[in-house]
Amino acid sequence: MTLEEVLAVRPSPGQPRAYSFPKFERTVLPSGLQVLAVHVPGRPLVSANLIFRTGAADEPADLAGATVLTARSMTEGTERYPGLELIEAAERLGSTLHADASWDAFAASVEVAASRLRAALELLDELVARPTFPAEEVARLRDERLNDLLQLRAEPRRRVEQAFSQTIYTAESPYSRLAGGDESTVERLTRDELRTIHRAVLSPDRAALVVGGDLTGLDVPRMAEEVFGSLARDGSGASGGPGAPLAGRAPVANPAVDRPIVRLYDRPGSVQSEVRIGHVGLPRRVPDFHAVQVMAAILGGLFNSRLQLNLREEKGYTYGVGAGFDMRRGAGPFGVRMAVQTAVTVPAISEALKELRRMRETLVTDAELALARDYMVGVFPLRFETPGAVVGAIGGLFVNDLPDDELARYRGLVEAVTAQDVRQAAQDHIHPERLAIVLVGDADVVVRDLEAAGFGELEVIHEEPPGETDGPGAPGGAEEGE
Amino acid sequence: MTAPIVRFTDERLANGLRLIIAEDHLAPVVAVCIWYAVGSKNEVPGKTGFAHLFEHIMFQGSRHVAKTEHMGLVQAAGGTLNGTTWLDRTNYFETMPSHQLELALWLEADRMATLLEALNQENLDNQRDVVKNEKRSSYDNRPYGQWSNKLQEHLFPPEHPYHHPTIGSMEDLDAASLEDVASFFRTYYAPNNAVLAIAGDADPAQARAWVERYFGEIAPNPKIPPLGDLSLPATLGGESREVVEDRVPLPRHYFGFRAPRFGDPRLDALDVAAQILAGGKGSRLYRRLVREERIAQDVAFFALPFIGGASMAAGQATVRPGVDPDIVERAFEEELERLGREPVTDDELARARALIETYELEALQRVDERADRLAMFATLVDDPDLINRQLERYLMVTPAEIQAVAAEVFRPDNRVVLTYMPAAGPAGMGEDEESAA
Repeated sequence: MTLEEVLAVRPSPGQPRAYSFPKFERTVLPSGLQVLAVHVPGRPLVSANLIFRTGAADEPADLAGATVLTARSMTEGTERYPGLELIEAAERLGSTLHADASWDAFAASVEVAASRLRAALELLDELVARPTFPAEEVARLRDERLNDLLQLRAEPRRRVEQAFSQTIYTAESPYSRLAGGDESTVERLTRDELRTIHRAVLSPDRAALVVGGDLTGLDVPRMAEEVFGSLARDGSGASGGPGAPLAGRAPVANPAVDRPIVRLYDRPGSVQSEVRIGHVGLPRRVPDFHAVQVMAAILGGLFNSRLQLNLREEKGYTYGVGAGFDMRRGAGPFGVRMAVQTAVTVPAISEALKELRRMRETLVTDAELALARDYMVGVFPLRFETPGAVVGAIGGLFVNDLPDDELARYRGLVEAVTAQDVRQAAQDHIHPERLAIVLVGDADVVVRDLEAAGFGELEVIHEEPPGETDGPGAPGGAEEGE
Repeated sequence: MTAPIVRFTDERLANGLRLIIAEDHLAPVVAVCIWYAVGSKNEVPGKTGFAHLFEHIMFQGSRHVAKTEHMGLVQAAGGTLNGTTWLDRTNYFETMPSHQLELALWLEADRMATLLEALNQENLDNQRDVVKNEKRSSYDNRPYGQWSNKLQEHLFPPEHPYHHPTIGSMEDLDAASLEDVASFFRTYYAPNNAVLAIAGDADPAQARAWVERYFGEIAPNPKIPPLGDLSLPATLGGESREVVEDRVPLPRHYFGFRAPRFGDPRLDALDVAAQILAGGKGSRLYRRLVREERIAQDVAFFALPFIGGASMAAGQATVRPGVDPDIVERAFEEELERLGREPVTDDELARARALIETYELEALQRVDERADRLAMFATLVDDPDLINRQLERYLMVTPAEIQAVAAEVFRPDNRVVLTYMPAAGPAGMGEDEESAA
């Protein structure tokens, strides 16, 4: 056959190899700590993740940022390993200790050779149960956070995210803030607040240890019981009092926007506008989760999503545009995200709005539906190639209180989504009548067109250029619509 | 813990395509990675940014694949994909459920054989706009965004092809024509200028048969122009400094040094030195500048390996508010120079080795990383088996070798210091920007 004849025939797929998400064993220790162990054969690097189901969304508003700062301060020294000795001990095992908090969870994790798992878990226990929160290191990390907030204001991509959250949620919602807190609360944090948070978070009956990798010859539940036995004594986990977690309840996520609005943060000379368009979205636990995910993939998740094909591949307005739901225990944001050349800011927003309306108004085509479903089903085994990814997904089930077979059922539920389901999900969860459009860009260039476009009530905010400030200061004043 | 050996076969088709297959059935996943030995170093003056723009054109269709269909077919098959361009090479890769391997091979073959049959002005103009927006997002509209471009300018002389950035300039992107695309394709996108690596859940005999079928008849280009002599003096020959005013809240220093080329064992020693200097909270620069003296907000140090003339070793330190940037610069340089004067401690080296071992094993778990490294080592140093020796090479590095390479590289006369300072007004404008039209 000639080359032309050979290439003219598209190959058809072979027989798929059977795949199922690895099964995990659950053991509940007397302290209440759940141990979720997953054997992934042939993977000598083991991932271990100790997760507490309490996160930044559970902290009181006047301690915003304390949970993240608590997590990050825990690697700064413990009773047995002062200062950097804890870090060094982990490094000798070839391992790095991570401790961090998200909106929903507080987690300490480690990746280590299976033969050194026991030693690594002992360091994890040390970090979680007996941190000393040295005052001077806490102060340093707090100052680093304040400096990072200064940097954030200069980065259009991070600044627009912050502004978008502030815009779409009421001030009562923790989601209106940054998970790491902002200047107004972070600068007041000391080791005392961190200790309060630490006591409140550290309750074994809200915790799971997820361990994945080649566990041949390892009795993980027994190891966990021996290593983490003291966890119950250290953590009061008591409710009430400052910093007491709201675990089990969904955080407040009230929308602040009831009509279309536009907020432009002026950044003179910007060659692109960073744009977010959206509103309060959905929590992770929704009955139509799979239809929503298919809908979001078609709208703005796939390489060939509607937004990408229109704004990138047809118009060339942007390097990339995406859309989706950030699902948390409470209703996280839904939004379109894009950075577009300044001169085409308004046409780019118009096209994005058009795509949002089109998702609600018409049925997706068979080809669009097939592409999204086939991708989500087909890529599933690729997502879980390594123990780290498997452990992360199991941790997500625990944090969101999802059933153990959620991932085993995932592909079947995606395959069952219909075009009608997709349109219904768009009609139920995309709300053009209360979209917030938030931009960081050059007001001189775009404000006239934005007004003329009539996307919604326009507010222009001029901020001090961050280069001119010499420390964390108050945000610039807002100016009413020009 | 011992590193798993990546077993592979290494052969050439009659047309010169180098084929490397590494079989492994742990997960039902297979990676395809094709490296072309062409990068921004092959661009001619007035056409900077072209190799990368061309990479985008490779996703605009070929004779049997419509515009955007490449991405659609791979994703519909449950695969992931992308392409990247760098100074020495351009690569394209797909990770697929293993029963979809043939599709990925066919897609790569169709564009290697027939790209120009789908080429048109509209697609070129569209991707030119996309790439210009990529440049705006990744460099122009980002604080400190031009640092790597500026380090290249300082470290490599104007006549050297590493002098200009891979992203190119707006003017040069505007100048790219259909004829340029056709000529670049005919010159460099030939089977004898490519390495195809397949790693993961594949039957080697079947994979080889498919590669023969789809790639075997693609004509080679016997006249790929050699690039000429890219060699450079090992050191810069004098310190080079620049102060950049930008819209940044905190000053930041970037440091650049000429370093040994890719494949040179001294670069392994430099990688270990980078781990000791800035690899995490136990490292020297973090410990002193961030934790103890509290003069820096963050620190970093790493080597970017190149094959022509010299690699680039680069570092950064963000200055904390109220601190004199000169103090940060001196402390950073002192730590680098101390590495050249006294040997690292046994404990530091042991910790660095243990961490590097974990990083390497972590990376090699994934089929995409295995395919990428096999193709990389074959393309850049003609030695794919380096995938099995790299870790050992790191673990063999001695304190004396670290000291020697540090003394060679971290010299004031081999140093670029780029200092970003907060500007009063709108900054980061001017260079590389086109007019509002």
